[in-house]
Amino acid sequence: MASSNLRAYLVRLAVLLAGLFLLAGAGLLHRFAQLPTALTLLAQYLGMVGILWGLNAFFFRRVPLTGVVLFVFSGAAFGVLFFLGFVLQEIVGPWLIDSAGRFIGLVRLTDLIFYAFALMTVLGAAGCAFSGNIIYSAWSLLFAFMGVAGLYVFLGADFPAVAQVLIYVGGILVLILFAIMLTKQIGEDPKLTNAHLALPVGGALGAVTVGTLSYMAVMAPWKVVAAPSYQPVSAALGVAFLTDYLLPFEVVSVVLLAALVGAVVIARKEIKETSDQPI
Amino acid sequence: MTSIGLPHFLIVGAALFALGMITVVTRRNAVGILMGVELILNAANVNFIAFNHYVEGPGKVTGQVFSIFVIVLAAAEAAVGLAIVLAIYQTFRTIDVQETDTLRQ
Repeated sequence: MASSNLRAYLVRLAVLLAGLFLLAGAGLLHRFAQLPTALTLLAQYLGMVGILWGLNAFFFRRVPLTGVVLFVFSGAAFGVLFFLGFVLQEIVGPWLIDSAGRFIGLVRLTDLIFYAFALMTVLGAAGCAFSGNIIYSAWSLLFAFMGVAGLYVFLGADFPAVAQVLIYVGGILVLILFAIMLTKQIGEDPKLTNAHLALPVGGALGAVTVGTLSYMAVMAPWKVVAAPSYQPVSAALGVAFLTDYLLPFEVVSVVLLAALVGAVVIARKEIKETSDQPI
Repeated sequence: MTSIGLPHFLIVGAALFALGMITVVTRRNAVGILMGVELILNAANVNFIAFNHYVEGPGKVTGQVFSIFVIVLAAAEAAVGLAIVLAIYQTFRTIDVQETDTLRQ
């Protein structure tokens, strides 16, 4: 029983493969050896019949394709495939090639990379703003930060790009993830850990803001320099920090020290006042 | 189609700022609000560096100096802000900003 079943499967598979060969071979012969069109169509129809009969062993087993049904069904399938192939080859294909050529003529590679980084940034920020799970928000923030670092590279700002990756991705994001894990809300319902208050109001506010700022960015007559430079700036930045901006530099170091001490003082565990009394 | 210029970067900065503001306004989770603040600071940084590149001109780095200061202060803000969030969590056992309203009474 099992062996005859297997043999039937193998026969179906062989017929399916033969049908595929017939279909492809007839197409190739028609293309390269000038096989007459009627003969090609006949061979392809026969190949289609073989393919369908072979496939019937695996799919649509409730409808046993035998006799007239098989030939009518494969005729219909052949017609549909022929129509689809005709449409793809004669209409969609040339249109695709044509529009792709026009697209490449218009867009340069650097522009494409800029749009990729901008899309990554904005999608990451949107994920942070709208995700229901705060862990997903944090990971979207990673994409936003990396995208912004890419934009810095585009603007010829090498040192801020590296600082962005080191401080935001390596420092602040890890800090945020630790804060999420230390505040226990993960194990509870993730839908509630990051609930929104008034998303329609916030969305309207955001839409108005981005509309106004974009209008201003496009319409304002910025005094753009003729040839922006893409030279490395790290040395110039170091000189600027130690000459023109020496006082802010020192103040910021004091601020960092104060923030460090303050964070430790605020975040440490409360020491119970009763614990230092002698028992 | 024109090449990439200043307005493109300003629009990206505007989108970042708006999304950060949506995050700050709509979140109930205090850590989420801090994430929104980071997005807003990033938007400011994008604008600083874009203006430095396109308006201030070659050889000058004032915008980048400011962006470095912003990054430093964002790090300090994140450390102190998350420490405050942890302290709030130790006191109230929640970081839902709707429920920590003791000072309001």
